[in-house]
Amino acid sequence: MLSRWATLFGAVLLLAPGPLPGATPPGAARVSAPQKWTPPRTPDGQPDLEGVWTNPTLTPLERPAEFASKEFLTEQEAADYVKRVLQRVNSDRRDGGTQVDVDRSYNEFWRDRGNDLVADRRTSLIVDPPDGRVPPLTPEARKRLEERRAWIEEHATDGPEGRSLGERCISWAPAGPPMLPGPYNNQLQIVQGPGYVAILNEMIHDVRVIPLDGRPHVAQQIRQMRGDPRGHWEGSTLVVDTTNFSGEASFRGSDANLHLTERFTRVSPEVIQYEFTVDDPTAFTKPWTARIPLNKTSERIYEYACHEGNYALMDILAGARAAEKKK
Amino acid sequence: MLAPANAQNQTYKAPRTTDGRPNLNGIWQAMNTANWDLEGHAAQAGQVVSLGATGAEPPGLGVVDGGEIPYLPAAAQKKKENYANRLKLDPEVKCYLPGVPRATYMPFPFQIVQTAKVILISYEYDGAVRTIYMDNPGPAPVDSWMGWSAGHWEGETLVVDVTGLNDMSWFDRAGDFHSDMLHVVERYTPVSPTVMNYEATIEDPQTFSRPWKINMPLYKHMEKNAQLLEFKCVEFVEELMYGHLRKQPSK
Amino acid sequence: MARILAIFAFVLAAIAADQQTPPRAPDGHPDLQGIWSNATITPLERPSDLAGKQTLTPEEATVYEKQVVDRNNVDNNRKEKTERDVALAYNEVWYDRGTKVVTSRRTSLIVDPADGMIPALTPEAQKRVQETQTWIAEHATDGPEERSLAERCLVWRTAGPPMLPGPYNNNFQILQTRDQVVIFSEMIHDARVIPLGGSPHLASNMRQWIGDSRGHWERDTLVVDTTNFSGKYSLRGSDQNLRLTERFTRVSPDTLLYEFAVDDPTAFTRPWTVQIPVTKSQGPIYEYACHEGNYAMVDILAGARAAEKKTAK
Repeated sequence: MLSRWATLFGAVLLLAPGPLPGATPPGAARVSAPQKWTPPRTPDGQPDLEGVWTNPTLTPLERPAEFASKEFLTEQEAADYVKRVLQRVNSDRRDGGTQVDVDRSYNEFWRDRGNDLVADRRTSLIVDPPDGRVPPLTPEARKRLEERRAWIEEHATDGPEGRSLGERCISWAPAGPPMLPGPYNNQLQIVQGPGYVAILNEMIHDVRVIPLDGRPHVAQQIRQMRGDPRGHWEGSTLVVDTTNFSGEASFRGSDANLHLTERFTRVSPEVIQYEFTVDDPTAFTKPWTARIPLNKTSERIYEYACHEGNYALMDILAGARAAEKKK
Repeated sequence: MLAPANAQNQTYKAPRTTDGRPNLNGIWQAMNTANWDLEGHAAQAGQVVSLGATGAEPPGLGVVDGGEIPYLPAAAQKKKENYANRLKLDPEVKCYLPGVPRATYMPFPFQIVQTAKVILISYEYDGAVRTIYMDNPGPAPVDSWMGWSAGHWEGETLVVDVTGLNDMSWFDRAGDFHSDMLHVVERYTPVSPTVMNYEATIEDPQTFSRPWKINMPLYKHMEKNAQLLEFKCVEFVEELMYGHLRKQPSK
Repeated sequence: MARILAIFAFVLAAIAADQQTPPRAPDGHPDLQGIWSNATITPLERPSDLAGKQTLTPEEATVYEKQVVDRNNVDNNRKEKTERDVALAYNEVWYDRGTKVVTSRRTSLIVDPADGMIPALTPEAQKRVQETQTWIAEHATDGPEERSLAERCLVWRTAGPPMLPGPYNNNFQILQTRDQVVIFSEMIHDARVIPLGGSPHLASNMRQWIGDSRGHWERDTLVVDTTNFSGKYSLRGSDQNLRLTERFTRVSPDTLLYEFAVDDPTAFTRPWTVQIPVTKSQGPIYEYACHEGNYAMVDILAGARAAEKKTAK
């Protein structure tokens, strides 16, 4: 135990002089703070990202229309906004009648929304394009999404395929990748072994074990829901490059050609700056980038045995069949 | 030939991690039919005729120390019923989490990512995962399929104490089962650069008359660029589980 | 036991070959390796018309050989396109039923009991065999389970164990190392890997079609001990309690003496022993992909179903 602390201290002392190159991601007008803090190293020399992290925030992915020209909020504007949002989303409200109450599903206790905006009060998580909005979809993507939307409208309760991957307990959209806040259980755990970074998302007990040895991606005909990740370090930033998506877990309209780049930089003991770039020319008319802090938590990851307790899907389908019989 | 018990191979010392522990990092897999049946079993025809030989059960010498699982009388009866109805009852058929120790000997590889504080095991089957806490995590806060794992080192052996297991998983496809009093102690001991000996002691006074052990080698995947791939089987069982609730039910 | 040893010595003496010491394999034991055939026209059991006669004279043997070969020849008096022609199936060129009696000119392969006949079955075994035969007589074409193991491409008596001469492809290959002996029978591409290291047999609940074999050397003889039979392959009425002991001794460059003893007290009222001198064969062993070409099974069953339809009409 003692020797490990000595190693850590030693590592920090060695790395102490000056900020590290590449710490400021390109294309950002302003970052939280120029990096003066140097992360410690894991025993095999990687910048230490280990621990359990979480990302709930009230900052939306896209800039809301009311802030169209505003990149950042003032403190007062932020406070107002937070108050309004929390009031709006509060699922403990008992106004609206029974059906509304049932539709609100979980009480507030279960939710993990966060209670604040990101520290720099940016009005969107998207940092590029500058308007803070997802770029327009390509015509093919729009067509594909429209067809899918129309199909779901008609067949929403015909069978499991009409339900979301989350309802089916196959894959949890906010865990992506890329990783964004979801309604609850936003925890993820990073474990760094020699030559690998493992990212375990609590939802749905999904692990990405990312090799750092520079090996190529798997053969192009092997497609996976969460793609095939490869990592490398650029200074103190872990860059994870993911291809081979199957397209089944479409992210905001992405398809199998998605090339996702994630960047993890530990900027303080309590914060990892997480940034991702979506590059999918057959789906989006241009690439786009978003940034969200991951905050350290002392929580442990719990088991989310989604499928094993998936009464909801059974009940949704059985309910639809019962409703049909009734007619 | 099985690797002999720990005592004989205490002479092998695995290469060390930077924090001085035996290095278990890598992709491993059992090479036996324990997942079909922990006890010794001859081959037999499968349950699904149309699968022919691909669904038939391969034979196996068994991995249980002493040969037989020591069921209490009532539990032995339940095992018989489980076996007779295994196609309906085996949680693996429904792509449910495999529990411990079954996750270790599923016919899929798993990857160990080892640090001083946490050893993460990622199983290719169903993306199951276990976090082995090396820092005395205290009692299990709640029961789960994969349990609550607390690990420590005893010389060359990683010892993992698993509690908080629910009663819903099976040990194999032959109906071997347990209650939620299950307590598993695993021992992972490298015996050569590419082989690790795996022993699990199973204790469950509600089901068995005494603790019992299973033993098997785990083999390291040596192919270049070995990696786990997705086996998200939940999607593969939707027809099985929800087909009867479809608007147009399949036959 | 003394009787067996006497017979053994007799056989050894009778084999007209130079009494050289057998060549040694790298493992230090006599080299049994090579491709062998056990085709012979000597029957397993002494024919009734030779009852009481243990051995033929050389002249009698010549006559007997000619008679048997002639009688076996399916192409004799074979009218084309008759039902008998079809029922005879293969032409003579396909058969490998031997041309010679064993060199000792014994009238049966069974050397013990002295009458050259399989001992009587126990009452239970008789009952079991009778019931099976009755069932099959009534249900001969109901399904695959009523057909012979050979027709089902499961087990051939040529491979057994024990290895008995069959209608064709009587070839097997022996390979040996210090730790195991492999007996690879052409019918049906069956390789018995026999460990020599003294490991115990499988647990008693593990039963196999061809049992579980363990081998060891007794001086120049390889002794193979097989238990754990499932009983599904029945040797003339044997059951799962069969304990089979085979002995292989190279007695000349071209001959292997193959002996097996059947000990199955719940099936046979006493043990019995067989000796077959096995001769070197040219080889190679060919692939016998029985099941992959098993049109016969499909045609037998389909034919029976068609015939039923016809009678139904």
